[in-house]
Amino acid sequence: MIYLDNAATTPITPKVMDVLKESLDSDFANPSAIYSIGLDARKLIECAKEDILVALNIPSTHKIIFTSGGSESNNLFIKGRCFPDKKVAYLGLEHPSIRETLEYLGSFGNDPFSMLEYQTEGRLDLNDVSILSDTRSKLLCLSHVNNELGTVNDPIAVYNALCAKAPDTRLFMDGVQAVGILKIFSDMWPGLSGYSLSAHKIHGPKGIGLLIYDSKLSLIPIIHGGHQQNGVRSGTPPVPLIRAMAKAISIASERIDEMQEHYKFLKNRLVQGLYELSDRIPELNIRLNSLEVDDLKRQSPSIVNFSFPPVEGEVLLHHLEAKDIFVGLGSACSANSKKPSKILMGIGLSEEEARCSLRISFSGNNTIKDIDIFLEEFSTAYKNLYPTFSKTTIEN
Amino acid sequence: METRTLLIRYDEIGLKGRNRRHFENQLVKNIRFALNGIQNIKINKIHGRILGRMNLVDAEKCIAHLKYVPGISSISVGNSIEPDFDKIASLGINLIQEKLESLGQLKFCVRTRRSNKSFPVTSKEFDFEVGSRIMEALSFKGLSVDINRADFILEVEIGPQETIVFDNRVSGLCGLPVGSSGQVLSLLSGGIDSPVSTYKLMTRGCRVHSIFFDNRTFLGRGGYDKVVRLAKILNRYQGGGKLFVVPFEDIQVAIRDKCHDMNRVVLYRRMMYRIAQALAELNNCHGLVTGESVGQVASQTLKNLAAVSCVTPMSVFRPLIGMNKQEIIINAKNIGTYEISIENQPDCCSVFMPNHPTTRSKKKYLESDERLYPWEKLMTQALASVETINLDDLHATA
Repeated sequence: MIYLDNAATTPITPKVMDVLKESLDSDFANPSAIYSIGLDARKLIECAKEDILVALNIPSTHKIIFTSGGSESNNLFIKGRCFPDKKVAYLGLEHPSIRETLEYLGSFGNDPFSMLEYQTEGRLDLNDVSILSDTRSKLLCLSHVNNELGTVNDPIAVYNALCAKAPDTRLFMDGVQAVGILKIFSDMWPGLSGYSLSAHKIHGPKGIGLLIYDSKLSLIPIIHGGHQQNGVRSGTPPVPLIRAMAKAISIASERIDEMQEHYKFLKNRLVQGLYELSDRIPELNIRLNSLEVDDLKRQSPSIVNFSFPPVEGEVLLHHLEAKDIFVGLGSACSANSKKPSKILMGIGLSEEEARCSLRISFSGNNTIKDIDIFLEEFSTAYKNLYPTFSKTTIEN
Repeated sequence: METRTLLIRYDEIGLKGRNRRHFENQLVKNIRFALNGIQNIKINKIHGRILGRMNLVDAEKCIAHLKYVPGISSISVGNSIEPDFDKIASLGINLIQEKLESLGQLKFCVRTRRSNKSFPVTSKEFDFEVGSRIMEALSFKGLSVDINRADFILEVEIGPQETIVFDNRVSGLCGLPVGSSGQVLSLLSGGIDSPVSTYKLMTRGCRVHSIFFDNRTFLGRGGYDKVVRLAKILNRYQGGGKLFVVPFEDIQVAIRDKCHDMNRVVLYRRMMYRIAQALAELNNCHGLVTGESVGQVASQTLKNLAAVSCVTPMSVFRPLIGMNKQEIIINAKNIGTYEISIENQPDCCSVFMPNHPTTRSKKKYLESDERLYPWEKLMTQALASVETINLDDLHATA
């Protein structure tokens, strides 16, 4: 099997699995209980928390809340800060867990402010942030790394621009696709009011994520109950998942230099390979939707999104699946969900270009051989499908 | 071990004439099949009714299984008891009290049937004696008597060997027992309608096998998985069903590439009918079943339905033909297929869908399109690659 959809999820790495298994076996006690084994469980959470703070260079000004994953973290911060009437802005290219949350706020009359017209290359154009001051936006929500394109909004640069042109606007970033791919430096945190991440994107288990936020801020909880985690997120904290996530974050941080080099290598091979196919096969025209640059402040090296009209991405995906190659899709071609990806359409692609696209995303498990096999099978599938998709239909 | 009696009343079979025994025997067979996993259960047909005897602990489970057996109008669980007014009233109070407390008020009546005519009290007198004792105990809690519109009917059977008091009736599916009307083949998609039409034919006594046209090369395996789950749910109402999975991509690609755009959908359906007919004949099925309803989509106009039906001499049953969508949805929810049907799963790739499908296809144009691609050869190839799934073999959680 060749798995090239690591932006969707990743397999659990053996070292993380060891921690998870061992903890599932032994750490069953409720960390809120006041007897010794409960206190032990609480201690394990505190240790995991410390490991995470160290690995992500999180300063004491910020605190962390364990959630069920990136979507919950995004919901908790945005609703917790801005419900019902604080004005929120977003680029318009974010993950649905941000877009739909903002639409939900809109249903209470708090319409979000979309900055889509101020995007260039899938990123926020920092020359235009003064508009946030004009619109009295209290919060700006952005993806650190865009989940379909891999394009990057650099938190430090965005924060500096906000300080200069819209000092009343706070910054929240969805870091789900960034952690493990981009370095998280300590100087990033002062500018961030909130940041979310998810364990299963970095070889950790599903069902656990983090919200990291400025401890001066108060959040209205979404989940009420036993007042765990200072009442911000009630529910018994899952000790094994927390410990496994801490391990996954630590490993990801330790290996980040090595991984960045590896991803760059894979990405260059893939992009060059696609261009070569494009030269060799007259009917294939590749349009790279991600940025080709090696600049980590503009583009993640682990995601490559490209279009190849007229063959539809979803059909190509299934042809690759038949060869045991699994890739990602930004858009669906099914007759009952005819709307192409909002992100791809948002950066100016035509409906056809958006539908005829794939997303390749790497992990440390991928090799150059995987890329070469992918390229070969992609070209075979494309050539097989081209006649059907290129044929003009016979109109009566 | 304490035992209970199960009284199973049947529906339309009671209206049958000389062939009634055939239907009764089929229903008994189906009931035995449905209760196959229950130990020490005895099912007998006595005087036009079906009686079962099983351990008390299995009573709830039996009722749950029998709710899936077409042909049954209602089921009651009975308790053997001495023919004594006070004892019967006391049992009745226990049965009624729980329901009364949850509802706040309840209308009830007692119905006694006396097959032992030597018993010294008449049925009417028995109703009165037991009913008045129950009223005495529970009327202050909201119990009242209503012979015509009772929410709870306490039934007492006084037979020569024993007296049985039955709890309130649980409704069955009604209709005819599966297998009493032969076999049919249903065109099953992942949508809302075709599972309902499949079910409808089951309640008319047909064993319904299903056929699914699979294009996983273009759409992935999701549609196939969904249809297998639907077929498994539907098979619970009959047992012994099969699902035939026919690879359809080559036919769709050929029609898409060679034929007129506007005719595509009707051409796909003509091929589906032809293949279904061939499989039906091979599997001793005497009709096709579809979920079509007039005017619901472009392919279901009167002209298009006719243009599709004419490719097969076989009967095509369309039990939903005059139903509106809301009625179909209510049925699907009751059967238990709705939640799966609405899962978002591509059932047709947009590459195969025409921009402007015809609503008035003409046979001569369809036939001329069919001369543009080798449909007979492709049909033979598809029939040679059919996957057959015995639905009884699927694991309970698969």
